[in-house]
Amino acid sequence: MVGNISPQCAKLMQQLAAADFFATDMKLYLDTHPDDAKALEIYREAVKQAEAYKRAFEESCYPLCAKNAGEGCSWNWLNGLWI
Amino acid sequence: MFIFEKRLEFPVVIKNRNPKLASYILSQYGGPDGELAASLRYLSQRFAQTDKRAVALLTDIGTEELSHLEMIGSIVSQLTTGEGARSFDRYGVGDYYIDHANAVYPANAAGVPFTAAYIQSKGDPIADLTEDLAAEQKARATYDNILRMCDDPDVTCAIRFLREREVVHFQRFGEMLDILQAKIK
Repeated sequence: MVGNISPQCAKLMQQLAAADFFATDMKLYLDTHPDDAKALEIYREAVKQAEAYKRAFEESCYPLCAKNAGEGCSWNWLNGLWI
Repeated sequence: MFIFEKRLEFPVVIKNRNPKLASYILSQYGGPDGELAASLRYLSQRFAQTDKRAVALLTDIGTEELSHLEMIGSIVSQLTTGEGARSFDRYGVGDYYIDHANAVYPANAAGVPFTAAYIQSKGDPIADLTEDLAAEQKARATYDNILRMCDDPDVTCAIRFLREREVVHFQRFGEMLDILQAKIK
């Protein structure tokens, strides 16, 4: 492993992974059930949750997407766990 | 297009080193039923599908398989981090060390390099989806074999996650095949 992660960031990462995984799984279901209105509602909610966890993680830990890196005059894209 | 997120689909943190176990799990990186074969298979087949649902499903599952390739790479890498030549030799995988040291190389458990001959992209929607059903079951069976060889709980929980995804993908491909066959009738 390259780099370290604090217990607080590890917990946020777990929450993000769980929320985003739910959205990923719903996405596959919708591909074969595009007319399922209830599933669509669940999917939209899951995406919203995952985005909230992603924002929380990036604010208190390190950037997960390069487009959110570089604020604060340093190339913080290098920070965090890479593998 | 693809956008990289600096995290794994399922976080992997492995405390113990085990180059032998790494060499077994490497088969799901570059082996016949591994994640590289899976992602290339679906992301290539998607171009020949005509039903938008099938194009979307192959794109989305193919993309998820790339995340699984990344997870397997991370597991193999973490299991060998800091281990030297003597350790690889003691674990019986000195031959891997000679060619690749601590690197992750797309090969099967016996060291045979990855080949695109593991996959097919037939240009026939029914033939391709039928292959995909078999591919998911073969990957699931390989994960079962890995679980029989593995007693490290840090590794087991990640492998179990990957195994379950094969089952879900099999279910979705089956639904898609039913949809296409119903359209033909």
